[in-house]
Amino acid sequence: MAILGKERFEDLEAIHEGITGMLDIYKEDPASRGLNAYFKAFTKLVENLCRPFDDKQPVVWYNLGMSPELILALEGVHNIPLEAYPALQDIVGEVNFTLDYIDRAEAHGLPHEVCSVDKAGVGAVLKGIMPKPSCILGVNTPCDSQMAALQASAELSGAPLYLIDIPYLYGEREVEYVARQIRDAIPFLEKHTGRKFSWERFREICLRANGMSENLLAWNEYRKAVPCPQISKLICLMVPLFITFAGTETGVVTAAELAAEARERSERGEAAVPGGEKIRAVWYQDPVWFDLQFYDWMESELKMVIPMDLFGYHAPEGMIDVSSRESMLRGLAHRFIRVMPMSRQFKGPIEWYLNDYVTLCREYKADCGIFAGHVACKHAWGGLGLLKEKCREIGIPLLVFEFDMFDPRVTSAESIQDQITQFVNNVVLPRIELKK
Amino acid sequence: MKSKQEILEIFGQVISGPMNRYVSEWKKSGKKVVGYYCSYIPEELFTSIGVLPYRIRGAGSKDSSVADAYLSARLCTFVRHSLALALSGELNFLDGVVSMNSCDHIRRGFDLWKHKVKPGFSYFISVPRVQDDRVLFWFEEEMEGLKKAVEDHFGKKVTPEGLKSAITLHNRARILLKEVLDLRKSDSPPLSGTEALTAAVASQLIPEPDLIPLLEDFLAGLKKSGGGKPARARLVVAGGELDEPQFIRNIEEQGGLVVADDACFAVRSFWDLVPENGDPWKSILRRYLFHVPCARMVGALDDRTAFLTSLVKDFRADGIIFQRMKFCDIWAGESHNILWRMKKAGIPILVLDREYQVPASGQVQTRVQAFLESMGK
Repeated sequence: MAILGKERFEDLEAIHEGITGMLDIYKEDPASRGLNAYFKAFTKLVENLCRPFDDKQPVVWYNLGMSPELILALEGVHNIPLEAYPALQDIVGEVNFTLDYIDRAEAHGLPHEVCSVDKAGVGAVLKGIMPKPSCILGVNTPCDSQMAALQASAELSGAPLYLIDIPYLYGEREVEYVARQIRDAIPFLEKHTGRKFSWERFREICLRANGMSENLLAWNEYRKAVPCPQISKLICLMVPLFITFAGTETGVVTAAELAAEARERSERGEAAVPGGEKIRAVWYQDPVWFDLQFYDWMESELKMVIPMDLFGYHAPEGMIDVSSRESMLRGLAHRFIRVMPMSRQFKGPIEWYLNDYVTLCREYKADCGIFAGHVACKHAWGGLGLLKEKCREIGIPLLVFEFDMFDPRVTSAESIQDQITQFVNNVVLPRIELKK
Repeated sequence: MKSKQEILEIFGQVISGPMNRYVSEWKKSGKKVVGYYCSYIPEELFTSIGVLPYRIRGAGSKDSSVADAYLSARLCTFVRHSLALALSGELNFLDGVVSMNSCDHIRRGFDLWKHKVKPGFSYFISVPRVQDDRVLFWFEEEMEGLKKAVEDHFGKKVTPEGLKSAITLHNRARILLKEVLDLRKSDSPPLSGTEALTAAVASQLIPEPDLIPLLEDFLAGLKKSGGGKPARARLVVAGGELDEPQFIRNIEEQGGLVVADDACFAVRSFWDLVPENGDPWKSILRRYLFHVPCARMVGALDDRTAFLTSLVKDFRADGIIFQRMKFCDIWAGESHNILWRMKKAGIPILVLDREYQVPASGQVQTRVQAFLESMGK
């Protein structure tokens, strides 16, 4: 690994220690193939965050509504998602650093109702731990909070910002519109990074993006098995993987490992839940990133597994036709509008959100749903009433609770555990018994 | 000719709730009304075919709980109150609703309009989040879709002649409102910020043929009347959604005089005119996409800063009160950016969060008092 951490920032050291510690624990464990794949990818992400400090190559920031294929097509340019640093810190590093980023952003005038993910990103910028960008590329998904952070980051960094406008609906006209803007973004990126966009390189990246998607689709399929062959928390980590590594070899390999583990465990009839699963739940909102052990608790104590969640669901519209330049741009447009988790469900009419929920409940044979209400997800909260009605219609009980995926000060893991336990014991298990 | 006070009373009645005497008369004569959200939806389109464009608000809603049940308490209270009115039938006089992707809240509000309120006509427009010629074609296509849907539903053809007449009417109202605004530049303006916002909001709820004579009388009355009392400080109120003059009154009762208001329903709604030469439809669309930008327009911070600072300079304001609906992310990001830009420019600024229907809070009073004192006023 490249020079890291203490020499530069204690923040990075915390992430580095977190990942290496995890790898030390799990690398020899044959039952942790998927988890190890993630940790290896995250190790690479830490390297990506550090390398620009050393090699001084141009950096492009972007937001979590998009994947990096276009940026990667400029050789020698670093792609840094604005949220990568705090997300890693929350997931595998030291959560207190994340809280510090959030507090810095609020103290600097970013109102507290802005998403903690976005506040943490801005806080990281304020702290000066993000490699300085040559420019910023953004999309106006999945939410307004992202736009607040994107513009604040542009303002703080002084870097020029290009926004790809993602429209409300999804169809051929919308894809054409987005593809046209993606094409227009190329000269912007070339101008500000000083690097040439390579169509041949872009084609290779698209092929790798497809390879990753094929593996993710297969992975999603294997997780439909009853019992679910793989642990719950793997699903919730897909978003940072996709945002950072779509179009890279790391992305392909990690997704392949996840799929292979799920397939092998499924073939061997192994279950994620020790002693056998009792409850299958679709987790339909943000994960508890500040405490991944929460998922272990759910499996061991409640015998409950999450075969699929909103972050892990990989939509089938993501394959890129690499036969021409135009088809590749259109393929990327499809991804931005209809594949990126959250953007897919939240950007358009409420039917998109409801239909995916019904599909996931049906295909993953859910006994219940969990609306893990990240406090800042206004577009999700704004659809809650209609989601509840849909749940009644399809006969799947839904737990709703309020928390912050980054910030345990809002709702602690223990409090979430209490709410889920009550729901399971008082609603879900009696219903399962009645069905027998 | 009506006096300034008489007209202010009329405007005050107009904005106090969803229905007003002019809309009532309009409906009685068998004509249609279409409600709309946001300043990016062209009023002229509706006026040109004899349909009244009516800007949807939440005034008159005493309780948002019927909307909260669907939208939760984490959405802004402007949207929740406007949906509460709709869900409880108080906006049933609307023959249709046009909404857009202004923000996540209004977008989710439209889901409820479609699924629960079910107006006779509804349409949603995807307005670009950038103010740039590269996306003008998209905006034109979206508006073309709206135009066709409106023509089909109301059975009337939108014609260049109709659009030209509508442009003339709406421009006339805008010019009058701008003349009223200009009077606020004087040392002792003949109207308060509270009165000015009352007029601006009312102008979006009254048919233009009724509105224009009222504004003409109002302007004439203002020109004849003397100035108000000297204020402790001259202020510009900026920010997002603002259609409650009581909020301004709360500021002015502390001794500040609001001399300009760079907010939704206020200056941003009437500042830009539609050019009266050239293709009327294209002129309308260009005016709407490129009008003084809302914070939803990414990359337009320089333009918004320039506009706000020009108001401060032209109206000789001592400071800015930047107000934002709680939970509004679009204006949250803007409040951060504008706060630091104004600090760098040496312009005093106070950022206030607020809730709809709670305009006169003690907290606002206290903070405004402290702000005025911090400016040495």
